[in-house]
Amino acid sequence: MWADTLLIVFISVCTALLSEGLTWLLVYRTEKYQKLKTEIEKQSKKLEKKKEAIESTLLDKNVKKKIEREEERLKNNNKDLTMVKMKSMFAIGFAFTALLSMFNTIFDGKIVAKLPFTPISWVQGLSHRNLSGEDYTDCSFIFLYILCTMSIRQNIQKMLGFAPSRTAAKQGGGMFGTQPKP
Amino acid sequence: MNKEKRNKTSLLNKPVQKEPLLKRILTAKSKWDDKDEFLDVIYWARQILGIILGIVWGFIPLRGFIGLALFALTNAGLLYLYIVNYQCVDEDEYGGTFEMAKEGFMTSFAAFLVTWIIIYSGLYYD
Repeated sequence: MWADTLLIVFISVCTALLSEGLTWLLVYRTEKYQKLKTEIEKQSKKLEKKKEAIESTLLDKNVKKKIEREEERLKNNNKDLTMVKMKSMFAIGFAFTALLSMFNTIFDGKIVAKLPFTPISWVQGLSHRNLSGEDYTDCSFIFLYILCTMSIRQNIQKMLGFAPSRTAAKQGGGMFGTQPKP
Repeated sequence: MNKEKRNKTSLLNKPVQKEPLLKRILTAKSKWDDKDEFLDVIYWARQILGIILGIVWGFIPLRGFIGLALFALTNAGLLYLYIVNYQCVDEDEYGGTFEMAKEGFMTSFAAFLVTWIIIYSGLYYD
């Protein structure tokens, strides 16, 4: 089992590097992306400082309106950034779906590892995919690959400095714009 | 007189020398001016801890829900002790205990699962 598991980790590292490389080629190095990213970061930091300042003082209607306007601008910039990323995401998505289905056929019906725990029922669909038998501690390729990708890809993004900054993520609410506040 | 004044100003404008990161990580009650830097330290510490725990759990070997629960407790507990008792950082400045606890937790959990599964299946099911 060493060979299979280590091969899956290797595949996951390669696909993560390839996908980051492709995204760099298509998105990260473009002037539009870099401009939008710096702008969003600047705006997010400014907005956070303003929000912190406002918490300690009484709410002034004008200041509140100004903050709302800035939030709107930030939301629009976030939307633009998502659009810039979107095209390459689709291209990479298609390429990787094809790659994944190829690996799926290679490892089809093969137990690649043994889980030290029995997964809960809604995870079993993934961890026991295309495997015969009732032993739910058997692990399929796709489950281990997803776990590897979850840890490796994000860490590679962070190491290379491609992960979005915390302030921007907090203020922008991630990919889908600002989250409504209670 | 003028020279003295100039000396004073140059001393004031001199940039404050930061201690090396590793030294600050290991020294208790270090000063963290950059919040992001400290959160990064927490993030990477969680990743390393996740991998170490995965290797240890695989070698023992721990099985079942107890392994998962012990990971969550050890990971959250050790980092909490480091943040609050060792570095004496005010959690509220970073958005509260929950914000600190979830920093890099999912990635660390995935890394832990991968190492635990690989070591366990490699050692006991070959």
